[in-house]
Parts: sequence; structure tokens; C-alpha cells
Amino acid sequence: MSRDLDIKVHHLTRVEGHGNIIVNMKDGVLEKAHLSIVEPPRFFEAMMKGRSFHEAAIITSRICGICSLGHQLTSLVTTEDALGLEISEQTRLLRKLLVHGATLQSNVLHAYFLAAPDFLKVGSVFPLIATHKDVVLRALRMKRVANDIGDIVSGRAVHPITPVPGGFSRIPEKAELLEIKRKLLEEALPDGLETVETMKALAGAIPQFERETEYISLKHPAEYALYEGDIFSSDSGATAVKNYLEVTNEYVVNHSTSKHAKFNRSSYFVGALARWNNNHAQLGPEAHAAAAAMGLKPNCFNPYMNTIAQVVEAVHCILDSVRIIDKLIENGLKNEKPNQSPTRYGRGIGSTEVPRGILFHDYTYDNKGNIIEANCIIPTGQNLANIDDDMLKLVPQIIDKTKAEITLNLEMLVRAYDPCISCSVHMLEVDFIE
Amino acid sequence: MTVLTVIGVGNRLRGDDAVGPLLIDELSKVSASQLELIDAGSDALGILEYLAGREHILLVDACRMGKAPGSLVTFRPLERKLILDTDPLSLHGLGLAETLDMAESLHMLPTDLKIIGIEPDSIQFNGKLSSSVQAAMSLAIEKINDELFQLTN
Repeated sequence: MSRDLDIKVHHLTRVEGHGNIIVNMKDGVLEKAHLSIVEPPRFFEAMMKGRSFHEAAIITSRICGICSLGHQLTSLVTTEDALGLEISEQTRLLRKLLVHGATLQSNVLHAYFLAAPDFLKVGSVFPLIATHKDVVLRALRMKRVANDIGDIVSGRAVHPITPVPGGFSRIPEKAELLEIKRKLLEEALPDGLETVETMKALAGAIPQFERETEYISLKHPAEYALYEGDIFSSDSGATAVKNYLEVTNEYVVNHSTSKHAKFNRSSYFVGALARWNNNHAQLGPEAHAAAAAMGLKPNCFNPYMNTIAQVVEAVHCILDSVRIIDKLIENGLKNEKPNQSPTRYGRGIGSTEVPRGILFHDYTYDNKGNIIEANCIIPTGQNLANIDDDMLKLVPQIIDKTKAEITLNLEMLVRAYDPCISCSVHMLEVDFIE
Repeated sequence: MTVLTVIGVGNRLRGDDAVGPLLIDELSKVSASQLELIDAGSDALGILEYLAGREHILLVDACRMGKAPGSLVTFRPLERKLILDTDPLSLHGLGLAETLDMAESLHMLPTDLKIIGIEPDSIQFNGKLSSSVQAAMSLAIEKINDELFQLTN
């Protein structure tokens, strides 16, 4: 059919970074369909230059309140790679526990506060508080258990303080870990399984849209990779993290100040759905049961199902946290000091899976242990080209819907990726009409 | 024993947005035992964790109020119209206004919660505190001391 369509959705205009959805169709021909991000340009390198290896992770954890732990751990791994700092098995386990807490928190909040309101067609979480208070409270209870993991293991849930290069400045007590284990099993697990039931009930409202793309995540031989592994592409297999630039291939586009990325195709997907597609075989039976209940199958090409993959991961994170705590206690908690004696200086590259996808930090240190060059590639930047490609395929499929329905479908699509649209500004705006 | 909780909100890397956390740093140098100090950083939603079981809370944050940079206004959330982003594209869109709105609907707001809002000049990344907001910090400390005095006398 021949149709003109002009959609411009300006979001978050009151903060520094904008996320705008732009769609133009003329005489039935789609001219434009993209998400335009107006981020402050590359501040990262400037912010990191001249900083010592003790400071790097503290600074990066403050880039964003929501992604603080992910940036912090990736920064530590990067610094350790650059300075040749080996870490202990205990440090590795404690970090994995932290990653589980952060993933649980972010995935649950995304599913309940952003995706569920879409599935229930209520626009946002705010009307949900009145109609489904118990569900909102459940989300907050799960957030609290995740926060407790952060508090106990990292000293503070937001902008953590005890994870430092080479280890931890404080090791949690056995009793503290046992208390987290109790909360995980008695509170978070039942709430997690209830969440699966809730999402199962809502799954019928998930748009049926498929676009096969390239899925990129970490992959680890022995576990569902979140903290460490090689880069893995569903198209071309493994690439070592040190060769990440061969994968990310960042390039500039006119409609966005954030760079885009591509590898084997015009775009690739990072995040929970990519991790699920690449690594689902390494999840336990409970996570697989959750996936089956909610209709998530291996090799899922529906980007809206990212939310469902997040809920599957939440179940995994709860149970695997219990396993890690058992292992830490079985090994006996050792009051280790962090290893902070560099054996070399130079370039280091680190990567972890943060809730929104694979994250890369890349630092070069001078021989005094100060940063002379830094690069950071965030998941949202890597997903932008994929979101645009989704929109190009989706708009013609839903063109018979009303403009409002099309707009909602596109907003839901963007929300499924939960982009980091404006890192770090939560400026309160107050209308002072006296 | 804690009488008053002060929560600083904001991003330390973004110019005047750092005023909340920096104020917590200042207060912690001279803190009275009746003051509980919390640096909530830039995770606004995280503030929900601190509301339960606390009676008197002061939130310090940079606020766009349409006033001159460095202006300081103390208000209760329900007295003023906090502008909500009710349709965010991402969790990153949920800020303090949305968090307080949610807390209110869930009956989680303590009876005595006030916001000390400070009008920012610039919130550029890696910027420093502007001179006007720097000057407002001492006003904010005075305000907090006044509140504490009223609660303890």
C-alpha cells in the first residue's frame, strides 16, 4: 500500500542524552527508520587519562548508577591484564557472585518496570502500582536481595568500594554469606519462580516478530559466561578478547553521536538473548524449565524475547549464586590481601557480560601505572545498528496499524534492548509555578 | 543515635550534579552522631532501599527549578510538581521524581522527607563544581544543621 508516515518520538529531552525514534515513509517507501542517540561525545578517554591504576575502576563505576558494577569489574579485569596482576580463585568467585547480583537486579527491574507495562498495555509502571501492587513489591523484594549481595560482597550496592585491582580490600564473613544464601533460597527463588509465572501469563502479548541476526556474547568452556570467556559470534565462532576491535568495528553514522558496530553482517545483537542463543546449553534444569514455561526456545530470533531471556537468567543467577556461596564456604574463606604489585606496564583489554550485553574496556598504562590511553565500548553502542535493522524490517510488517500502534511497537522494541540512553544524569526537574 | 538521615544523590563525574555526594563527603568530616549520611550516587531507584524505617530524611540533589545557578530551595515532594518521565525508553529514564512517585504510591515515603534542591549551572562530564553551586554547599550545610537542631531541641 502507498502511505506516508512520519514518526518522531523524542524521549528524555530533559536530560543530556536523548533517544529519539525517527521513521519516515513516503508513498509507501520506507526512507528512514532508526533510533538516534545524542550522547555526550567520547568523554571516556578524557576522563581516564592520567589516572592511576588504583583510581580507574572507581571512576568508571561512577559513569552510571545503573551499570556501576559492570563498569567497575570490567575496569579491574582490564587493569589486571595491563599490569600482569594475577587474582585468586576466591576473588574470581566473589566477582562472579557480584555479577550475578547485578544481573539479577537489572534483569528483574527491566522485566517488571519496562516490559511488563508494555505487555499489559498500561503505558508505564506507574498505573501498575495501583493495579498490581503485589507484583511491584515482588520486583522490589528481588532488587533488595540483589542489593544485599552488593552490600555484603562489595561494601556498597551502588558504586562499590571493596573490589580493587588484584582482589578485594575486605572479604565477607561466612555468616554474611550464609545470610545471603538464606535470602536467595527463601525469598528470591520463590519470587523468581513467581516471576516466571507472571511472564508466562503475559507472553501472549509479546509481538511476533523475527529477524535472524548475528548474536555476540562471551563464551566460557565450563559455565554460562558472564564474568569471563572468549568473544563468541553465532556466525563465526570464537575470537580472543584481546582482538575485540576485529569484532566491534565501530563506525560513525549521521543520525547518532554514538558510534555503531558491525562484524560479519550489517549489525549484531548483544544482551540476554545473545547469551541465551550462544550459551543456553550451559544453563541448569531450572533455568531451562523457566525458558520452556515462557516459550523461549534455543535460536530465538525475536528481539522482544530479550526480556524473557533476562527472566531465565534471573533464575540462573539466583541458583548459581547459592552454588558459588557453597563453594566459597567449602573452600574456606581466606583473608587475602589484594595483589597490587605490577609485573608489567602497557596495554590491557578486559571484557565482561553486563546486563545489557558484552562490554569492553581497553587501557594503556605508562610505567608509573597511570593511564595514557583508554577506550570503552558499551553494549548499547553495539546494539544500535541492530535496532535500526529491526526497525527497517518491522515497520513494513506493521504498516497497516495506526500511527499510535506503530509508535508503541517501536518503543517496545527499543525498550526490549533497555538501552543506556543517558548515562548517569538523573536530574530532578521541578515546576515552580507558585 | 541517628535522628536525621541525609541522602546525597547525583553523579560525581558530572559537574554540578556531584553536589549531593560531595555534600555527604563534607558532612562526614565533621559529622555529628545524630546524622546518618548516605551517598546514593546516581542510582535514583536505589533510594527506595533507604526509605523504610527512617523518620526524618533530607535528600540533597541538583534540581532544575528555573532559578539562578546556586539557588537553594527546600521542599517536600508533594508540595511541588516534580516532572515525571512516565514513559521511559530505558531503566536509565527512571530518576528521582519517578522513584519518589513510586514510593508515594507504595506508601513508602516517611512522613518527614524533604528535598534540598540546588540549581546547577553545568552538568558536563568531568566538569568541576561551579562557583555558585560551591557557594550553595555551605547554605545546604547550614540548612541541615538547622533541621537537626529543630529535631533535637
